[in-house]
Amino acid sequence: MDIALHWLTNTPDFAVPFALAALGLILTERAGVLSLGAEGFMLVGALVGIGGMLAFQDPAVALVLAMMAAAAVSLLFAVMVVTLRVNQVIAGLAIVFFCQGFTGLMGTLLEWTNQTTAGLAPLALWPLSALPGIGPVFTQNAMVWLTPLLFVAVTAFLHTTTLGLRWRAVGENPQAADAAGIPVSAYRFAAVLAGSALVGLAGAYISVVSTKLWIAGMTGGRGWIAVGLVIFARWSPWKALAGALLFGGIEALIPQLAASGVKLPQYFVLMTPYAVTLAVMVWVALAGRGGQAAPGALGEPYVREERR
Amino acid sequence: MTDLSVPLSPPVATAAPARPRFEPLLSRRYALEVRGQLAWPWQALILALAVVVGLLVSAAILVAAGVPADQLLNEFVVQTFLDGQNLRAVLFQAAPMVLIGLAGCVAFRARFWNLGLEGQMVWGAIAATAVSVWDLGPQPLRLPLMFAAAAAFGLLWSWGPAWLKLRLGVNEIISTLMLNYLAANFLLHLVYGAWKDPASAFPHSPQFRAFERLPELGAGIGSAVLLAGVVALLAWWGVERSRAGLYLRFVDANPRMADAVGVPVRRLVLAAVLVSGALSGLAGFVIASGQEGRLTQGFYAGYGFSGILIAFLARNHPLGAVAVALLVAALFVTGRSLQVFYQIPFSMVQLIQAVIVVCVASSDFFMRHRLRRVASAAARAGTPGAR
Repeated sequence: MDIALHWLTNTPDFAVPFALAALGLILTERAGVLSLGAEGFMLVGALVGIGGMLAFQDPAVALVLAMMAAAAVSLLFAVMVVTLRVNQVIAGLAIVFFCQGFTGLMGTLLEWTNQTTAGLAPLALWPLSALPGIGPVFTQNAMVWLTPLLFVAVTAFLHTTTLGLRWRAVGENPQAADAAGIPVSAYRFAAVLAGSALVGLAGAYISVVSTKLWIAGMTGGRGWIAVGLVIFARWSPWKALAGALLFGGIEALIPQLAASGVKLPQYFVLMTPYAVTLAVMVWVALAGRGGQAAPGALGEPYVREERR
Repeated sequence: MTDLSVPLSPPVATAAPARPRFEPLLSRRYALEVRGQLAWPWQALILALAVVVGLLVSAAILVAAGVPADQLLNEFVVQTFLDGQNLRAVLFQAAPMVLIGLAGCVAFRARFWNLGLEGQMVWGAIAATAVSVWDLGPQPLRLPLMFAAAAAFGLLWSWGPAWLKLRLGVNEIISTLMLNYLAANFLLHLVYGAWKDPASAFPHSPQFRAFERLPELGAGIGSAVLLAGVVALLAWWGVERSRAGLYLRFVDANPRMADAVGVPVRRLVLAAVLVSGALSGLAGFVIASGQEGRLTQGFYAGYGFSGILIAFLARNHPLGAVAVALLVAALFVTGRSLQVFYQIPFSMVQLIQAVIVVCVASSDFFMRHRLRRVASAAARAGTPGAR
């Protein structure tokens, strides 16, 4: 019982990075840009988040700085895929490895590696946190409470505003959008920057809030898992949130099982998030609901001069 | 279906009006045009410029990171290429690079994003080590057995994502990446568990015996280099000269069209991915048996991306891959020495490769497009001031 309670309490902490990264990816991909750079943007967010903490000792400042840094790096990606029409897969991969190299280098040069920081204090949600028994489940840090609000905001933006409608039109059919007078490139730039800022926030959450320190390559493939999660969620924010809770729940289970004395082969346990991602991808394919939900122009550069 | 009684619409392209003598700067318009195939010397020039820009940016980063500028040229050019021993080190390092680069070329030719090169490489090394640890086969057959086991397991590890992609349409980018993490964790399970070296208790397998090591062939050239060369020639023949290679070019150009004209697309893609996996497995074997002499925990780091980079820069051409692999190998060797002498983290090597890819990928734009000045609307209309 105690273990179940601990597990429930810890799940949101593990779910938030997946949720925020997936939300950012949905925002980008809805405008038709396939963003494979998520793993890289998360690393940048994680590094700058710790840098912000060490410099200002303020989690809010650190998180905002991390978002700005990730957006700044994503500008490079945006120029490549929107302006220069580079193949989006190649550009995304190059960005990931650029960020891996860059954050590894900066972490070492600035000596931010393994420096512990204060993190973000938990926040009690008063009537719920006072509940007997399951009260602790509702005592989470502010970011956990902010995440669903961000989901509401992004969903509302994409589906109830004119801007959101145009945003999705650019992703579904850029030719038609262009003909209707929507500046396709501008929307795609905005989509890459905004989405990457959220992905950077996801990375900063890992370093600033969860682990409270920086280690090179600390995101450990969570960016890639988020890319898979978006496919699983069929580019719908609420399904992505559910998927993030699923993955967070699995990740939160691992330390709980270890603490409860269940003897599991350690490295097989570490494989589970990746194996589950793979299983989910297969399940999505088997359920026969694979690609048709993807934005129509996902991954295709829009070249006005080649308009037919 | 065309109704010939309907008159054709008047031709859209009319002769351009004569350009006025003076055109205000702000009213000039530049149109971006997609241009046809650029002559190859221009392509080569643009490519070379892009690589040079990439190297200059990397050099700037290295100088900012604390490497003295005058030492940089010395480290990279003099120490790496003009010193006999270091040149041998580059060749030594190039053998797995060539194999992993070829693995990338073959898969990408079939439009399959095999990002699982590292995982397939890990399984190749595990399989080769298993032959050593379990003492399979007589001594003279030991190396061929390790070779075959490595190729077979690399192939098997690539079969899964290929099958999932062809049968169920599962995105291979994610599936191959996830399989990398599975393979890496299984490697750790082995080297921290059953295969931990009893002699040193370090997390790596026991040392291979002499007959399990790839031999030196004289003049400091390892048999791994010879193996990589032979495989490169075979790959070149396979994709440039054989019938399957010709079909692959169809698939690469337009899979639907290839299918329509009767090319066995699915079988070709599957074969290409399996060959890619086998080549990655061989790269793992070369590192285990030729370089390290044992199974170590992080030997694969960086090779997957290097393979992708090599294939990309070589435009999936096997012989080009050999040339690029030599450069990347030199980068690895230089990177290790920078790590030792200037405490520059090895991730710098990744950064430099990424910068070069960014530059080369961006330079494609200038090969495919050109800016052409067009007369402004006002100038065309001949009415100054009208917009």
